[in-house]
Amino acid sequence: MKIVETKSVVLVVFVALLALLGTYFTMVVPLMDQSLYEPTADATPYSKLELRGKEIYQREGCTYCHTQQVRNLLAETKRYGMGEEETFKRYGVRALIQAPPSQPGEYVYDKPHLLGTRRVGPDLARVGGKYDNSWHINHLRDPRSTSPGSIMPAYSWYFDDRGQPTKDAIALVAYLQKLGTNIKWREQGVARVKNQ
Amino acid sequence: MHEDKSAKWFIFVSIVFFLVTILIGFTMAIKFVFPEFLGGVGIFSFGRIRAIHTNGVLFGWLLAADMGLAYYLVPRLCGVKLFSEKLGIATLLLWVVIVLGAVVTLASGQTQAREYLELVMWLDVLVTVAWVMFAVNIFGTIAKRKYPQMYVSLWYIMGTIFWTALIWIVGNLPVYSGVNDANVNWWFGHNAVGLIFTPLGVATAYYFIPKSTGNPLYSHRLSLIGFWTIAFLYIWTGAHHILFGPIPVWLQTVAIVFSISLLIPVWTVIANFFGTLKGKWAQGNYIVKFLMSGTVFYLLTCIQGPMHSLRSVNQIVSKTDWIPGHAHMAVFGAFSFFAIAGIYFAVPKIYKTTLFSAKLAEWHFWLSFVGFLGFSTSLWIGGFLQGLQWMDHTIAFIDTVKAMSPYYVVRLLSAVLMVAGQLLFALNIFKTARIQAGEPALAA
Ligand code: HEC
Repeated sequence: MKIVETKSVVLVVFVALLALLGTYFTMVVPLMDQSLYEPTADATPYSKLELRGKEIYQREGCTYCHTQQVRNLLAETKRYGMGEEETFKRYGVRALIQAPPSQPGEYVYDKPHLLGTRRVGPDLARVGGKYDNSWHINHLRDPRSTSPGSIMPAYSWYFDDRGQPTKDAIALVAYLQKLGTNIKWREQGVARVKNQ
Repeated sequence: MHEDKSAKWFIFVSIVFFLVTILIGFTMAIKFVFPEFLGGVGIFSFGRIRAIHTNGVLFGWLLAADMGLAYYLVPRLCGVKLFSEKLGIATLLLWVVIVLGAVVTLASGQTQAREYLELVMWLDVLVTVAWVMFAVNIFGTIAKRKYPQMYVSLWYIMGTIFWTALIWIVGNLPVYSGVNDANVNWWFGHNAVGLIFTPLGVATAYYFIPKSTGNPLYSHRLSLIGFWTIAFLYIWTGAHHILFGPIPVWLQTVAIVFSISLLIPVWTVIANFFGTLKGKWAQGNYIVKFLMSGTVFYLLTCIQGPMHSLRSVNQIVSKTDWIPGHAHMAVFGAFSFFAIAGIYFAVPKIYKTTLFSAKLAEWHFWLSFVGFLGFSTSLWIGGFLQGLQWMDHTIAFIDTVKAMSPYYVVRLLSAVLMVAGQLLFALNIFKTARIQAGEPALAA
């Protein structure tokens, strides 16, 4: 025992061995787990426009206020699912369609990942298809116009002098509409309800 | 006999970065109450300055301050001069380049977009170079030490040099994707707290608690247990940031088990600190006050942490404002308090004088202490309630945002106190350095 207190090299070697042990099991083993790279059945790579939108999302740090993961909790699959009104308006049936919990296969094209840790605003993992494009444009231009009481920043620098969205704003919206569509959960959920 | 050039310049520069980056934090607190504040300009928007604040306080302030304190205490614990003051100053210059580079790149939106790993590649390389320079200086000093037996602070500093290199380099490799990228991100993020700032904070406290109280270290055995258990346990816990998320369940469970077992190293270290502080609680000056409350906050953070990793607690508090409240207790309440205490102790010693004003330092303590409590308590209460509201999907999200507003106001007011306190801190330290130049001390 004494030797680790008198020989710095020995101390560092032991420290390194312990650190590598934990790193191996919690990091290297998952890295080698092929099932985590298996895309979901509906997964498609990002288009060029969507990828540009993802870059804007990264650049503006949307991830510090929005997560992109529906946790495996009933409260979340319901909250981030499709509410009764919305389903009725769009599909003509009255039902709450729960959002599926996020799965590894939905993220295979994400580099970097944008899972996030903080929800100043709502989770965005299933936001694709929730609103139409013009809602997003108005929301980005002035969040308080669509959502009174919001504390989200207005992204006015993505709009020109006449208030028209720039190419980047359009790309960002395309990216948002892609989120969560690697599982066609809205269509599948409605089909399930109709078949009952 | 000690030149202390590297120590004092690292400390001074870290204090400047501290002021700048907490003012950025303050700006964010304003934005939570007045979202249009400084609106319409990309470089001032929340998503950009958030990364400047976190990277700034972590690497610009706390790590730089701890490096400065290491340059101070390692030579003293070894009974020899620092290996190379020139190398130390060169490291500092590089560090300044890195921090300025970080501010410019992050403000302009250049980022890896991975939390706490935001800095772009060329900055990552520079940080690695600076860290190697720091390592050479510290190990060089330790190699020529007079006393064969190494004190516990040295173990922690040597350990940190290895851990930082490991997680920094591996975490920044541009090879990960998908959920594994998230797992690596939190392997890094959590170990940044646990294997950089915790051990450096503990190392400084292990040095300055006995020094400033005059008490001997309470237990050698406890310090051994504390060190080796943290060296084994901490690195397994990162995945507790993604509980219920899209990563394998076994990985989540492993993270939970190891998170709970972290109570062992924490309580041994705390028991050692309390044992060493024994008898000094009543008569403590500002240095001892910072050390004592830092120790208590360290204990509380490390009770919270393992509790958050329990699935039942995690489902409520995770992703809420509770978490920034928790993070500030670790980084501000515990480790910044330790660094501040060390700076109050070391700077007058370096200048062979007394502190410019003990009274200002008392004010600094109380403003920081009360400000911090208001800051974190408001976020804990508000965040917990918001977490409960999220459990009920019939409550619209926007209503849970509005429900936070009184807590955001209290947080902002508390932040005023925290900022004011740190202004006094900077003033006091820079005035102390100037006494040397012939100005008389205000009060002993
Ligand atoms: C300061 C935190 C903050 C930042 C930064 C932020 N948001 Fe938001 N966001 C919110 C809040 C709060 C809401 C909820 C109120 C609302 O709808 O505006 C929200 C709502 C949303 C919604 C609607 C979600 C839904 O299901 O109703 C979308 C889409 C969105 N944000 C996208 C973005 C994008 C894209 C960015 C980056 C360009 C961004 N947000 C940056 C706080 C933020």
